Amino acid sequence: MKGETMVKLDLVHDIQASYRKVVDSMSRPGLISDLAAEAGKLDRDAGCFPSTMIIAMMLLDTEVTFKVFSEKEAQVTHMFNRLTYANTAEAERADFIFVLQDAASDDLRNALQKAKIGELIDPHQSATVIVETEAVSGDKALRLTGPGIRGESFVQVKASADWIQIREEKNAEYPLGIDLIFIDESHRLLCLPRTTQIRKEEVR
Amino acid sequence: MRIQYNFAFFDEGSKREIRRATLKAIAIPGYQVPFASREMPIGRGWGTGGLQLTLSLIGKKDVLKVIDQGSDESVNAVSIKKLIQKTTGVKTVEDTSEATLIQSRHRIPEIPLKPGQILVLQVPLPEPLRKYEPSERETKKLHGEKDYSGAWLMLFEQIMKYRNMTTGADHPVMVHDRYVMAPSPIPKFDNPKLDNSEALILLGAGREKKIYAVPPYTRVVSLSFEDVPFRTESFQDKSCKLCGAQGVFMDELFDAAAGVIYYQCNDTSYCLSRMNRQSAVLMQSL
Repeated sequence: MKGETMVKLDLVHDIQASYRKVVDSMSRPGLISDLAAEAGKLDRDAGCFPSTMIIAMMLLDTEVTFKVFSEKEAQVTHMFNRLTYANTAEAERADFIFVLQDAASDDLRNALQKAKIGELIDPHQSATVIVETEAVSGDKALRLTGPGIRGESFVQVKASADWIQIREEKNAEYPLGIDLIFIDESHRLLCLPRTTQIRKEEVR
Repeated sequence: MRIQYNFAFFDEGSKREIRRATLKAIAIPGYQVPFASREMPIGRGWGTGGLQLTLSLIGKKDVLKVIDQGSDESVNAVSIKKLIQKTTGVKTVEDTSEATLIQSRHRIPEIPLKPGQILVLQVPLPEPLRKYEPSERETKKLHGEKDYSGAWLMLFEQIMKYRNMTTGADHPVMVHDRYVMAPSPIPKFDNPKLDNSEALILLGAGREKKIYAVPPYTRVVSLSFEDVPFRTESFQDKSCKLCGAQGVFMDELFDAAAGVIYYQCNDTSYCLSRMNRQSAVLMQSL
């Protein structure tokens, strides 16, 4: 990552525009937002997706901690730390956990299992897990219900392992739980807050 | 000397703090997320929570509306609108349907909200259990254990004393069947608008340092009893003196000269747009 990669991204307005898309997706689970306009201004070979970097800059600073799961963990951690001054923490204590696309196959499971879910008096002190995936789409693979969804909505998430099962176990004791943000290569973003119920659609 | 403020007044660090709390609030509907509330150039208790939310959300393309107790033109609404407008340059409107961001004190507009709009409500007292439990540690525990017997007892005592629930505004609601929430001092008339709303509703309490949310399409039920159902204020047989509207929330006014009581829409932009439409029709017919 060199200095000039950041020049084109407006740290006030592009971050604001991206934040509003995250708000939209978080308050309407199943709504897939497109961060291409903002992410397109960033370098593609920074070690993570450009949209992931935008999320990091949007939410990280010295007040919170993060953990990266990736083959290039050291490089990306160093970059996030340099950009935001946020410190790292073990997965069990991190406020934000990033599982990048080049993470090992059981890293997603690992991250979800370790992520903190908050306490009954402080359910907000739980981890937000940002996951890079091959693709998210509106295909009818998963049926979502819950707050923010009118009736039901459908998504497909191409992610490794049995994340749905582990997420369900982690979120069993609402309001405790973890909130997920999925990002794909084409800058599409999907949020699954802890309130969202997921059912796998039968394959026809 | 003219100070050059950052876009939307705040430094980016303050926005990040509010944004993180907001996302958590959306993920846990009705739960009050504590946040590091900032000092604002208006007094605490004058809408600093709502203002902080608005400033953390607003972008160049937003269209802003600010209402104070139904009015676009009261001092508080105008001051807040000016502060935001001067530090962002966004367009401000009075027409509810045109706005993308609506900051409001104590009312939800008459015109139904729609997707693409965010309603920000200013909250003086976010804790619905505070009246009978002064300790924050205790109320947090009560929320954690979903122990709301006190909230029910408060309403029950009102019924015992006055034969009905006497909450004028800020009637407590149950959100997503989990958290009892103070809907901010909106009249009971507006409580049903929280249920299954089309728009995202964010609530901010600056002095009390809390942010909470009602996402769209979320179940919000006003607390009531089987034999004492929840009732909104009724304006049956009343109509607005200016525009003739019925079935909306109205202010009761007294004409001292004539010695009579009359009613007027509380939502001024709703009233104004109705009157404009009526006069346009009148002009056409001439």
